[in-house]
Amino acid sequence: MQFIENIRLAFTSLLANKMRALLTMLGIIIGISAVIMITTIGTSIQKTLTRTFNSIGNFNYFRVDLWIHDPESDGGWVMDELIDRDMVDELIAKYPDQFMLDLNDSFGNVTTQNYKGQIITLSVNGSMDAVPASDHKRGRTIQYKDNKNLKNALYVSDLFIKQYFPEGTDPIGQTVNLTFENGVSADFVIVGYDKLPKIYEQSFEPGTAEIDKVSPCAIPVDVGYRIMHKEMRPSDWVNIRYNAEMDVEMQRQQVQNFFEEKYAELPKYRVTVEDQQSYLGMINTVINVITIAISVIAAISLIVGGVGVMNIMLVSITERTKEIGIRKALGAQNSAIRMQFVVEAIMICLIGGIIGIILGILGGMLIGWIAKTLVTQFYAEYAELIAITIQPSIPAILIAVFFSILTGVFFGYYPANKAAKMNPIDALRYD
Amino acid sequence: MTLMSNVVISMRNIIKRYYIGQPNELQILNGIDLDVTEGEFLAIVGQSGSGKSTLMNMIGALDRPTEGTYFLNGQDISTLNDVELSRIRNKEIGFVFQTFNLIARTNALKNVEMPMMYAGMPRKERLKRAEELLEIVGMADRADHQPNELSGGQKQRVAIARAMANKPSILLADEPTGALDSKTGRMIMDLFHKLHEEEGTTIVLITHSPELAEECDRIVTISDGSIINDTGVRLNAVH
Repeated sequence: MQFIENIRLAFTSLLANKMRALLTMLGIIIGISAVIMITTIGTSIQKTLTRTFNSIGNFNYFRVDLWIHDPESDGGWVMDELIDRDMVDELIAKYPDQFMLDLNDSFGNVTTQNYKGQIITLSVNGSMDAVPASDHKRGRTIQYKDNKNLKNALYVSDLFIKQYFPEGTDPIGQTVNLTFENGVSADFVIVGYDKLPKIYEQSFEPGTAEIDKVSPCAIPVDVGYRIMHKEMRPSDWVNIRYNAEMDVEMQRQQVQNFFEEKYAELPKYRVTVEDQQSYLGMINTVINVITIAISVIAAISLIVGGVGVMNIMLVSITERTKEIGIRKALGAQNSAIRMQFVVEAIMICLIGGIIGIILGILGGMLIGWIAKTLVTQFYAEYAELIAITIQPSIPAILIAVFFSILTGVFFGYYPANKAAKMNPIDALRYD
Repeated sequence: MTLMSNVVISMRNIIKRYYIGQPNELQILNGIDLDVTEGEFLAIVGQSGSGKSTLMNMIGALDRPTEGTYFLNGQDISTLNDVELSRIRNKEIGFVFQTFNLIARTNALKNVEMPMMYAGMPRKERLKRAEELLEIVGMADRADHQPNELSGGQKQRVAIARAMANKPSILLADEPTGALDSKTGRMIMDLFHKLHEEEGTTIVLITHSPELAEECDRIVTISDGSIINDTGVRLNAVH
């Protein structure tokens, strides 16, 4: 009932001393804006990293490494008894619908009649993109099922599309005949294409005619092996894609057990299986911890601000002793007086908090904008890979509002209670 | 009015001491007995330091007596807690002060609304009542003026309207003309008479001026914390 009245009263009181109110809010403004700015930057770095990683590919795979354990030295590289394709195929067959071999290989240059530039092939297996996806991606990338079905699928660059097809044709679904270095030719169906990333252009000599530029293209890896009569080279490491919808640790253990069993008769061999996605999680955790730590330091200024509010409230109450006496004579209960001054303290902190949030968001965006400009200026070739996202942290804003109110209640209560407990006779007599 | 009227104030042996148990213990009121009936216009007169302000605080439920009983409309005030005293001040007492005591930066209408706000009256209702009250005291056209835009007499009229807001049992006026020139003071006294006659308001006027006291139905003289003279209700008051 009196709550709206109290808010109105608080506004009247604050407007009567604008400068003082603003100076009182300063501590709160600085505290809140610092926290918001830091969390904005923290969230932005996280988003940027996640987006950048995701644009390269998704990281739901295990890296399986083979080591030699030697107490005499620091260990060593495995030179024989390496992981081969049969081993991996056995693992995949043992756990159906769980694992895929994540494998990239290169099959050198291919040529086609209608394209005069060089085409290098990047073969893929699994859903990891051969070339980083940009906003200009059309169609789809090479997928695991293409490899499994030995489908002649092809993923190319826009440079290729531009030269190969007349303007206005939809290239997806069109057939292209490619000739490999061993002279074998095969028809491929275009499933998708993307803008040629700057990272490939960097290797060109300045002034290279567009026609001579290298264009990467991707085909399923086993299609490439069949054409080139090759197979996966045995290696001391291999990437195994897992099913992200299932328990990751359980799957990791399955892979670990499988390979340990394979090398059970070679006691010096050690197998490590690491989830690559967890690295991204680890980076996020580190950024989170840093953000929280700095935010806590920034929040200390909130306490300083709160003490300032308490100080001003005490001054205000002394100044308004007479008013408190009059209100009590008119029948205001102690609780009504207390509420009036607590609401006033909350208003100071809340207005300060809102100003702080606005300044914090603007500050965070400014820093993000500067970072973006610097990246574009100095690392132009990576600019497309590093997709900087500036986003204020919504939870941080809600927490900031909550803490502003809490600061008001906490530092406003003591002065307000002092006002509430005034003896009406003494207060009325005060001049 | 008749002697059959309701008793509003009934004080028995009211004693007020300060600094109790200390060497400088001070007894301000030495056993006051006072009865006021509904509709009276009573003056309490006395010199500075006679204890009349303390008595006023007691009547106005701003303070509790050290000893004795005080019944206001049949309710024993001396035993009430702070919250109950606030309610008594809010509903039963209407204060009029020498220095007006309007709340600064708050317009006349809002000042008059204030006791009704603390009484929990709905906004629309109290706005209507505040406008009516300002009309009665002749301040309707100044409703949106801040106190610092009003003259002394105007402020006091707003203060009287505010005092009347919750239809109190007693209008308690402490030197209401003390800070006004004689002409304005006269107008304020006329307003009290008007309220007394037209609304039947019980008025307790505290003053040190014998001339003002003579206008009232009854004069109670207080000196050194005791009532030394009580005229009783006179039908031949000067006014």
